[in-house]
Amino acid sequence: MKQISILLCFVTCIVYGQDCRYSLKGSVKDFHDGSIIQDVTLYIEQLNKYTTTNIKGEFSFADICSGSIVLVVSHVNCETKTINITIDGDIEKDITLEHHVEELNEVTVSGASNKETSTAQESLIKSDAIEDFSSASLGDVLKTVSGVSSINTGSTIVKPVINGLHSSRVIIMNNGVRLQDQEWGIEHAPNIDINGAGEISVIKGSGALAYGGDAIGGVVVVKPSRYISADTLYGRTIVGGQTNGRGYNVSSTLNRNYNSGWFAQIQGTYKRNGDFKAPDYNLTNTGLDSKSISGRFGKRDFESGFEVYYSYLDNEIGILGASHVGSIFDLERAINSGQPNLIEDFSYDINAPKQEVTHQMAKASYFKRFQNFGKVNLQYDYQHNQRFEFDVRIGDRRDIPAIDLTLQTHTISADVNLDANLNRKIDFGIIGRFQDNFANPATGVRRLIPDYEKYDFGAYITVDWQVSDETIFDAGIRYDFNRIDAKKFYLKSRWDERGYDDDFSDIIIEELATQFLTNPVFDYHNISASVGLKYDINDTSQIIGNYNLASRPPNVSELFSDGLHHSAARFEIGDIRFDKEIANRFSASYVYKAQKLNLLAEVFYNRIKDFIYLRPFDFINTIRGPFPLWEYQQTNAELYGIDFTATYELTNKFQLENKTAFIRGTDLEANSPLIDIPAFNTTNKIRYTNETWHNFSASLKSEWVFVQNKYPNFNFEVTNQLTNESILIDISTPPPAYHLLHFSSEATFALSKATNLNITLGVNNLFNTSYRNYLNRLRFFADDVGRNITLQLQLNY
Amino acid sequence: MNTLNFKTMKINFLNSNIMKTTKFFLSLFLCVALATSCSNDDDNPDPVNEEELITNVILTFTNNADSNDTVVMSSIAPDGQDGTSTETIVGSFTSGATYSLRLAITNASETPADDVLNDDIIPEADEHFFTYAVNSINLTMARDAGDVDGPDGNKLGVNTTWTAGAASTGNVQITLVHEPTGADDSNEFGSVTGGSEDLNITFTGAEIQ
Repeated sequence: MKQISILLCFVTCIVYGQDCRYSLKGSVKDFHDGSIIQDVTLYIEQLNKYTTTNIKGEFSFADICSGSIVLVVSHVNCETKTINITIDGDIEKDITLEHHVEELNEVTVSGASNKETSTAQESLIKSDAIEDFSSASLGDVLKTVSGVSSINTGSTIVKPVINGLHSSRVIIMNNGVRLQDQEWGIEHAPNIDINGAGEISVIKGSGALAYGGDAIGGVVVVKPSRYISADTLYGRTIVGGQTNGRGYNVSSTLNRNYNSGWFAQIQGTYKRNGDFKAPDYNLTNTGLDSKSISGRFGKRDFESGFEVYYSYLDNEIGILGASHVGSIFDLERAINSGQPNLIEDFSYDINAPKQEVTHQMAKASYFKRFQNFGKVNLQYDYQHNQRFEFDVRIGDRRDIPAIDLTLQTHTISADVNLDANLNRKIDFGIIGRFQDNFANPATGVRRLIPDYEKYDFGAYITVDWQVSDETIFDAGIRYDFNRIDAKKFYLKSRWDERGYDDDFSDIIIEELATQFLTNPVFDYHNISASVGLKYDINDTSQIIGNYNLASRPPNVSELFSDGLHHSAARFEIGDIRFDKEIANRFSASYVYKAQKLNLLAEVFYNRIKDFIYLRPFDFINTIRGPFPLWEYQQTNAELYGIDFTATYELTNKFQLENKTAFIRGTDLEANSPLIDIPAFNTTNKIRYTNETWHNFSASLKSEWVFVQNKYPNFNFEVTNQLTNESILIDISTPPPAYHLLHFSSEATFALSKATNLNITLGVNNLFNTSYRNYLNRLRFFADDVGRNITLQLQLNY
Repeated sequence: MNTLNFKTMKINFLNSNIMKTTKFFLSLFLCVALATSCSNDDDNPDPVNEEELITNVILTFTNNADSNDTVVMSSIAPDGQDGTSTETIVGSFTSGATYSLRLAITNASETPADDVLNDDIIPEADEHFFTYAVNSINLTMARDAGDVDGPDGNKLGVNTTWTAGAASTGNVQITLVHEPTGADDSNEFGSVTGGSEDLNITFTGAEIQ
C-alpha cells in the first residue's frame, strides 16, 4: 500500500512537473507590539512537516514542493492561525501572532478582572449575581455594591445613587452607548433590561473619562455577555414568580457563534406584576408591564470586527394611586394619616397616575487593529426615547398624557487604544452628539421641559502606565463642549418674577397674550481630569489613590422647569442663570485579599462647586388652593464617606459578609446637611454552601438602615385661610430606622452534558416588617413593600 | 452643524485605511442629523393653550331688597392654575338682609373672554358640584329652587341665596369639584367625596355690619 502511495505521489509530481526544492523561511512576531516569539510551532498539513521558531523568532522549511500549502501556526497562549501559501519559489514570510489576547481584553478568562479603570473605585457585578435580579431593575442590582443606594418612586422606579449622587450625575453606559433617556428626573428610571447584561461595572467618581466628563457621581457600565469564538449554539431561559404583586417574569437569551467569528444573539424579556402589598394594606396601582427585546450580530476576530445592535424596551408603570394629591392640604393629610387614602383590592390594572416609556437603541460599531499600533474603534448610535406621563385627569382629557416627550439622540464616536506597549497604554478619542427633544403641545398642559436641540462635542486622552511590577499610574484629561438651543415659553408673570427681563430680554422671539416665546442658547466649556496610582504593598495588600475633576453643565430640567409638575402636584422652578457644577473628588482605597479574609475599604471626599438641587421652598396660592413650590437652588457642597466590604470564610462551608456605607453631605453656604443623602446602612450576610449537593447554597441577610439624623429642615407652615389655622407641612423629617431580614437559597441540577437547571427560592422581608425609606419619593403616602416569596427557575442550555 | 468642523481635523490622525469607514459613518451621521434637525428647525413650537383655563372668579352678592347693596368677591389668577391668584372683597353685608349670589367664571386670557361657567360648567352640570364654606362669619345659605341640576339629583350651586346674621367678620370659601364620586347638598353648603378641585378659593375678611 505504502509503495503504491509513494508511486502515486511520484507520478503526480511528474505529471504536474512539481518542483520540491523550494524553501519557506520567515519569522514570527507579536501582532500588537512586534516582539519576537520563540518556540512557535509551525506545521505544514500536506507535508506533515513540523518546525519551531528559534530564539530570534525565525523558522525555515526546506524541500517544499510548489503548489498550495496550508501552514498552521500555533503557540501557547496564542490563538492558532491558519495561513494558505502558494509556493512558487523560495518564500520569505513574516507571520504575526497575538500573544497578549488576555491583556488586550479580547477574551475573558473566568475569574479574571475585567475592569474599566485601573485606579478608580470600581466594583464588578458578575452575571450570576445579575441573574438573581432577573425580575427586578438595574437600580436594585447596583445596590449590592457598598456605597450605592437608590432613589425610588415606589418599588419599580429605581434610580441608582452613587455616593449620594444620582440622575444627571451618573452616566449609564449600555453596550457601549451612553443612555439618553431623560435621566434628569428622579421619577425617570434607567431604561435598561437587566437580563441583557452579562456584567456590570460600577465606577465611583468620574475616573472613566472615555465615557464622559460630567459623571460627578459615577459611571455604570452595563456590558453584554462576552463573545465566545467557537461553533456553538447556547442559551438561557429564566422563569420566575413572586407572591407579592403576583408577579411573573420570563426572559430568554439565545446565542449562535461560529468559528469564523460570526456571532448573533437575541434576547427578550417580559415582566408583569399587579398591585404590591405593604404589610398592612395593598399598594393600589403599583403594577408594572415591561417588555423588552434586543438583538445583535456581527463578526469579530482579533484584527477586526463589527457589531450591529438594536434594542427595544417598553415599560408601563403604575404609580401609587394614593400619591395623587391636589393642594398642599392633601399632602398634609397624607403625611399625618400614615396610611394611603386609596386602598383597593388587588388588581393587575394600571391606571393613572402612570408612566409609559419606550426606549429604542440602535448601534453600529467597527474596530480594526493595526500592527505595532493598537486598535481603532468607530461607532454610531441612535436612541429614541418616548415618555408619556398620565396624570389623574378628568373627562375628555382622561386619556391624554400630561407629559409627552420625544427625545432623539445621535452619537458618533471614534477612539483609539494605543496598546503596542502594554506597560504604557494610551487611549484617545472624540465624540459628537446631537440631541433633539420634542414636547408635544397636545397634552394641553404647559411644557415643563421645553423643545430643545443639544450639541455635544468631546475629546479625551488617557494614559495607563505600569510603572513597575507593584505600581500602576494613570491619568487623563477631557474637554467637552455643550450647546443647548431651546425654544421655551415663559409666562410673563414668571418671567418678571424671576427678574429675567433685566438679563435675558434679548432672547424673546415672540410675544403672546400671557406668554413669551424665548430662544435661550447656552454654551458650556468643560474640562475634566483624572489621575491615580495603585500600589501593591505585598501579595495580599494594595492601596489605591485617585483624584477626579469633573464638570457638569446644568440639565434642561434645572434650567427650564417653571410650572406645575402634574404628577408630583408641585410647582418646580428652575433658573437659566445656573452655572455648571465643578467637582473635585479625592479617593483612597485599601484592598486586602487573603485566603479567608477579603477586605475593601474606600474613602472619598467630594467638593462640588455650584451644586444644583431641588429644594422644597414653600407654597404658591392658586385658584385650586395652595400648592407646594420647589425651587432648584445652587450652592457649594461637600460629600464625604466610607464604603466598606468584607468577606470571611468561617469554614469551607460558611461564609460571612459585611457591607457598610457611611456618607455625609453638607451644604456649605447654608451650613446645613444636604437633602436626600442616604442614611448609614449596614448589611450582614451568612452563607452556607455545599458544592457536593448540587452547588447548594443558602443565605440569610440582615439589612439595617439607620434613621437619617442629618437632614435639612425645609418644613414650612401654611395657613388654612378658611379657619385661620396654621398647619405645619413636615416634608423633611426622615422615616425611622428599620431592619429587614432576607433569605435566599439555590441549587443547580445537571440535566444533560450541556444543560443545567438552577432553582432559586428566596424570601424578601422575611418578617413582613413595615418600613419607609428616606429616599423613596412615595414615603409620604405609604409603607414600602412587605414580604415577598420568589421562585426562579433558570435553564442554561 | 458646527459640531462637524472638528471631524476634518480628526481624520488626519487616523490611518488612511479607515478613512473610508470614517467617511461612511460621518456621512451617515450628517444625513440623520440633517433629517432630524431640518424637520423642526425653522418653525417655532406651538403654544399650549390650556383647556378650561379659569382666570377670573367673581362672586356678586346682591341684597334682594336693595340692588345697590352688593358685596363683590373676586379672585384673579392671570395664569390660571399655573400661577398665583389674588383675592379681593368690595363691600360688606348688612345684618339681617338676604342676598342672591351670582357667579361669573371666565377665562380672560382669551379675547373676548371665555365664559367658562355657561359654556363649560353648566352644560356639564352632572359632572360638577359647587361647595361653600364659611368661618367666623354669620352667613347661612340655601340653594335656590331654580338652581341648575347637578350630579345625582343634587343642585349644582350656581344660584344661591345667602342670609346675613349678626355683625361679624370671617372667611368665605368656594370650591368647584369636577367629577366627584359622591355629592350631597342636604346641608346646603354641600359636601363631596372624591373628584378633583378645579377651584378652591378662600376670601378672607368678609364683613357683616
